[in-house]
Amino acid sequence: MSLRRVLALPGWAVHVRLLAGEAGLDRPLATVQATLDASHLPAVGELTVVARPVAGTDWQIDALLRRCADAGATGVLLSGTEPLTASRLLADRLAVPLLTTGAPPLDLLVEARLLLAAPEVDRADLLLATHRALGDRLRPPEEVVAVLRRLLRSPVAVLDDRGAPLAGEVTGRVRLDEAVPQRTEVDGGVFLAHPVLLQRPAMWLAAELRGNEAARADVVPPALAVAAGALQRWLLANRLELERDARSRTALLGDLLRLDTEPGADLRRRVADAGWRLGGWHVGLHIGVPAAVDTVARTQEVMRALEVEAVVVEHGDGWTGWVTFDHEPTAERVRALATRLQAAHRALHLGAHMGVGRPHPRPEGLVATVAEALDAARLAATRPETGHFLHVDQLGMAQLLLEWTRTDTFEPAARALVAPLRSVPGDLVRTLSAYLDAESSIAETATVLGVHRNTVAARIARIEQLLGVDLSRPDERLALHLASRAVILSEE
Amino acid sequence: MRITAGDVAALERGVALLGSGGGGDTVTAAVLLRKLLADGRSLFVRPAGELPPDARVVPIGVVGATAAFTEKLPGGGEFAAAVAAVERWTGERADALMSIEIGGLNGLLPLVVAEQLGRGYVDADLSGRGLPRLDQFSVAATGRGVAPAALAEPGGQVVVLAAGSDVVIERGTRAFLAGSGGWAAFALAPIPAGELAGCSVPGTTSGALELGRRVLAVGESPPRDALEAALAGSVLARGRVLEVARHLGPGQHGSPGFGRGSVTLADHRDGALLRLEMENEYLLALRDGAPVASTPDVLSVLDHRTGVPVSCDAIRTGVEVDVVRLAAAPFWRDPRWLPVVRPRAYGIDSDPVGAE
Repeated sequence: MSLRRVLALPGWAVHVRLLAGEAGLDRPLATVQATLDASHLPAVGELTVVARPVAGTDWQIDALLRRCADAGATGVLLSGTEPLTASRLLADRLAVPLLTTGAPPLDLLVEARLLLAAPEVDRADLLLATHRALGDRLRPPEEVVAVLRRLLRSPVAVLDDRGAPLAGEVTGRVRLDEAVPQRTEVDGGVFLAHPVLLQRPAMWLAAELRGNEAARADVVPPALAVAAGALQRWLLANRLELERDARSRTALLGDLLRLDTEPGADLRRRVADAGWRLGGWHVGLHIGVPAAVDTVARTQEVMRALEVEAVVVEHGDGWTGWVTFDHEPTAERVRALATRLQAAHRALHLGAHMGVGRPHPRPEGLVATVAEALDAARLAATRPETGHFLHVDQLGMAQLLLEWTRTDTFEPAARALVAPLRSVPGDLVRTLSAYLDAESSIAETATVLGVHRNTVAARIARIEQLLGVDLSRPDERLALHLASRAVILSEE
Repeated sequence: MRITAGDVAALERGVALLGSGGGGDTVTAAVLLRKLLADGRSLFVRPAGELPPDARVVPIGVVGATAAFTEKLPGGGEFAAAVAAVERWTGERADALMSIEIGGLNGLLPLVVAEQLGRGYVDADLSGRGLPRLDQFSVAATGRGVAPAALAEPGGQVVVLAAGSDVVIERGTRAFLAGSGGWAAFALAPIPAGELAGCSVPGTTSGALELGRRVLAVGESPPRDALEAALAGSVLARGRVLEVARHLGPGQHGSPGFGRGSVTLADHRDGALLRLEMENEYLLALRDGAPVASTPDVLSVLDHRTGVPVSCDAIRTGVEVDVVRLAAAPFWRDPRWLPVVRPRAYGIDSDPVGAE
């Protein structure tokens, strides 16, 4: 047991001030002894509590500090006293912690002795306090953070499954791939994290104990576990609602997309109940994400990121949505919308790809623009050079051609055309594709692929040699461009 | 022993050192003494043993606020009045005078008075150092008693304290001083020279002169060991004053106490913190919290460069000083007399820490 640990006790943390002698805080603490006697002789490992008021100017404070240092005692707690600079300097010099309190010193003594006699009591007290504060009803992360921050007197945060804060703030980092309670020694403190598990960690609860509170790090984890349980209940309760909502919206979207005639009254009613509009002009969008991303849990986040009044529905490998305009939008408005969606896409950091369709009117237009967006998103997945974002307006002919390359007749032919490139090392097919995308610019190709331009030049020479072609001839360029794109697409 | 104008500087330094931070400013008394000894005049200081045993010796000095003494200068007749009053009350004529307190201005002023009144001067005093209270005089410690005694203040009032315990005389004197000029000339009843050996501290004027000569000889900013040799004492610390804290001490008998204070400096040699507890004098020294010296040993603080003693009133933060300890006069090491001057006599709950 150390004095630092005692200073992290609730009563001590609030009422006791360390004046000097911080270097001695980790001295072993064996006993806490009260004295009324100015010439008290401290024992080894003793924290001497001077229970009577002493004038700050009293030289006996200095003498007591010295006797503590000589006896191997742990420190001195004064009651209601502001000692002279002389005494503080001496405490620093002797590395004997000098403390003062305005609270009744004997209350503090009892608390410290309890800790010495039964260290688990502090843990149990904190656990009970946490349970009392969180146990009665569902609480959102903000409230859990507020409760823990008060109980631990330290920064606390709830982080999402990627480590970004949802409530509160901490500077430490959670090791996201280890779904177990974590303890990390950081500069000047201890960082504790506890996963909030559904099947995988859905959130993390983290606390950062600094200064004297760090000495309490062994007491805190059970309290974090209780709080994580409260967060888990909150998640489950909300999840149920979200899932129910998501399912009905996804079903409604499915019905809409299958539409080939005018929608019936029943469907119109369901659409209206969902707050969607079938009239007007629609611009579809689709966001695809890797399978690991929990789409239901993130719908709110995506809607916030889009910053436009869009319908967003969990659909397929991500979300499908659309923005509705009252009248046909001008080209400029559509461009502005696309720019905004692209910015939102960048801000999401989900490893997603996004496609945006062209404006189309009425319910059948909605189906058309959503289909375009789905196609564009599929293409965007293979286009890192556009930041995995594509807008159908920008595709034009290329889109049509690419759709055609996906047919069964073209693909084997394309494969055969570039086959010689696949038998040698060096990513020659992708290099060829990037080179032709970049209008034969070696420097641009090098930037896109992240290799040196000499490497690109060497690869291009090798490609021409292997295929026996001249890449400056338009016919051969066109054939190879389509072939390489088709091969890459089919492989992803 | 003959004292000439050339000795005044050394004597002044000696008595200031023995003042232990108190005893009052010596400058005015030194000016008077220098004036008296101008034109090659000199005065004689004799050991008590050289006087006939029945010769009468009257101890005199200034009591009260020594700071007031330098502001409210003597009219010149105060000591004559005090001596005359005590002579008249006891019916005995003073053959010689002596000092009540060698430390500070009372180490010098009685010499001037003896010359002016045409009496002899005995090489002894009642304190052996600077002491703040009348009931701490050697005559009080040995049981002879302070009363009867006479007080004459510059306003012309003369009071004879005819009888009373030493504590009562001390209290009465303070009460009188509070209602008059702040200081007064003080004369005790004549003491037969043959009895002085048992109730006074002998050889203190010659001792102060010798001490002053040795200290002046080592010059400014002396090395530590040279200073220790000259003082025949020790240097407790040499460093810069970090903190001076003053507060009112505990009062006694309903009257306010003397001002208390603490001085702390860091020793340049090893960084040790030396703390001095003071009242009118420096009384206790703690080195890193451990008591290392105390009254009755003389604790003095010297300006590091000039070597001039710095009084408790004048000490301030930032000055470079040497804290020194001189052994107490042998008189105070007698266990019978020690209780009067040990730290507890000043309300400091510590045993005396001696040079031995």
